Amino acid sequence: MMLEPVATLLLSMLSIPGMALIAGALAVPLLPTSARNAFMLALIAFSGWTVWQIAPDASLTARLAGIELTLLRVEAITKPFALVFHIAAALNVIYSMHEKARLTATAGLAYAGAAIAALFAGDFLTLFIYWELTTFASVFLVLAGNTPRATRAAMRYLLMQVASGVILLAGAVLLWRSGAGFAITALDATTPAGFCILLALGIKAGFPLLGGWLQDAYPEASPAGSVMLSAFTTKLAIYMLVICFAGFKPLIYIGLAMAIISLFAAMIENNLRRVLAIALVNQLGIMVVGIGIGSELAINGVTAHAFASVLYKGLLFMSMGAVFFRTGTDRADALGGLARHMPWTAGFCLIGALSIASMPLFSGFTTKALTLGAVAKQGELWVWLGLLFASVGVVLHTALRLPYAAFFATNPKIKAEEAPLNMRVAMGLAAGGCLVIGLYPSALYALLPYAVSYKVWDVGHVLGEVQLLVFVALIFALMVRRGLYPLSGADMVIYTDWIGRYALPRLIIGIGAPLMRLWNGAKDGFVALVLRLLRTGEEASRATGLASGVASTGAAAGIFLALFALILLIRIVI
Amino acid sequence: MGDKTETSLILRRVMRGLLALCALGLLGEVLIHRHAYFALEATPFFFALFGIIAASLIIGGSMVAARLIGRAPDYYGGDDDA
Repeated sequence: MMLEPVATLLLSMLSIPGMALIAGALAVPLLPTSARNAFMLALIAFSGWTVWQIAPDASLTARLAGIELTLLRVEAITKPFALVFHIAAALNVIYSMHEKARLTATAGLAYAGAAIAALFAGDFLTLFIYWELTTFASVFLVLAGNTPRATRAAMRYLLMQVASGVILLAGAVLLWRSGAGFAITALDATTPAGFCILLALGIKAGFPLLGGWLQDAYPEASPAGSVMLSAFTTKLAIYMLVICFAGFKPLIYIGLAMAIISLFAAMIENNLRRVLAIALVNQLGIMVVGIGIGSELAINGVTAHAFASVLYKGLLFMSMGAVFFRTGTDRADALGGLARHMPWTAGFCLIGALSIASMPLFSGFTTKALTLGAVAKQGELWVWLGLLFASVGVVLHTALRLPYAAFFATNPKIKAEEAPLNMRVAMGLAAGGCLVIGLYPSALYALLPYAVSYKVWDVGHVLGEVQLLVFVALIFALMVRRGLYPLSGADMVIYTDWIGRYALPRLIIGIGAPLMRLWNGAKDGFVALVLRLLRTGEEASRATGLASGVASTGAAAGIFLALFALILLIRIVI
Repeated sequence: MGDKTETSLILRRVMRGLLALCALGLLGEVLIHRHAYFALEATPFFFALFGIIAASLIIGGSMVAARLIGRAPDYYGGDDDA
């Protein structure tokens, strides 16, 4: 009788999008490779179908220890995020089909499932559970890099992600104590609860100084792992920021800092997958600016941009992953000339590059334009100029430098095979997505939370964008021709990951080493003191035969007995 | 060496193509009226000028930044397996 409600709850929980993926991930290690991929794609299709037909007022609640949990709730922006997460999950499965590793497949599916289910969480406790599940599933993707460096990066990644989870939980508890309950709603970032939650989201969204884990861990993962990582964690944080902090003005400047500071590091870094990770922060920065603006057009912009960027960023990570898979390196100075050997990968990479560059007819143009338009409509000239400046940076370091370094720079010695078929199919589908959004943006606009009245195909707007792009490309070509490329002989850059990889360990050792010396000194002193006391006692007992020594057992028992009797006496008298 | 001259030949063609596109972009400005949100944006050839200035600033800035934040591959310790 008691089991019936539990069974009903379990069954209804399967109606939560993403839950089928989490449950199914448990079965993945048991399946043979051939069945595994079909099984995972079927699960994703089922879960995606539940999102497609979900009612806007769908809800599922449960009571646990007197607390009402909202396991399912649909916001206006939930559907587009959930759909693109499903697309990314499916592309990831196709992209990693050639891999035999069960762990990556299991972790990847659970990670995607947890991220999708988190979108539908209606309270912070439910969110916390999925938040932690994304952490623990995704750390295996970093570990799958299978190098000592990847292991260390994975531990740092875990530390930061768990810190984000703990701060989120602290914020949730503070919120509950303030009498607001656990519900996920718009929050005031100036209250302690709001601040904690903003900080937790900020770690995952790559806020300045908090996002070092991103460029630390993502490039160390396996090729398929970094593609999976690029889609979910950061976009989940963006989604939560939209729900909780839309219109919080300081986000405009936080976002601008993210978008601009990352430019210079991405221009010099030699590891191309790290360039992509740093450039990811730049894209997130533009979204955070949009959240800070908070108007309907801006939120549409953030949602559309997040949707498009999951595809083009994923596509770029896929192409660099394919390069790494075939050549064993992702270092710019060791690559070049691959266009001849991997023409398909090069072509798909260019589509990703044109998309991120906001070239008209590609997905960046039809999505990022909404955020820029929202900033312009608010009359924020300096913010608008800042975003335009950041866009020029993206064109330089991702759209031009990345394909040039991998595929077109002179490297007569390089030899590589074209990417495996499954990788090409995944890249082709992602590239197709970029083109569909670029050519028929109305299909994506229909999914957005508010009606879109913005005229994206304004002729003057198209002309301005094209002018910007061709002149930036001209400057880049001039730079290459003048022999200024590569910009530096440095192999890597120290960026915000420096805090976790260099400063903190040294700070801890710097403070810890003297403390350890002090502790060791005190411990040795104490032991010496005890030994001396024992020796003194021994000598005394030899003299008196009372407190210690061979003859002491009877004497000690006598003393304790006397004390016990005294205590009893006191107790009786009082 | 043959590869090098081939690359510079391609580069020259790319440059020529880009210059043609730039000329077209500037010509377009004469023919089409751009709707502008800001007075600054209404400046003739604003986006072309902004592109040139911003790209030069970023390239120059990165060269300076490379001296400040560029490091050798073993900066964070050994086992560099990339």
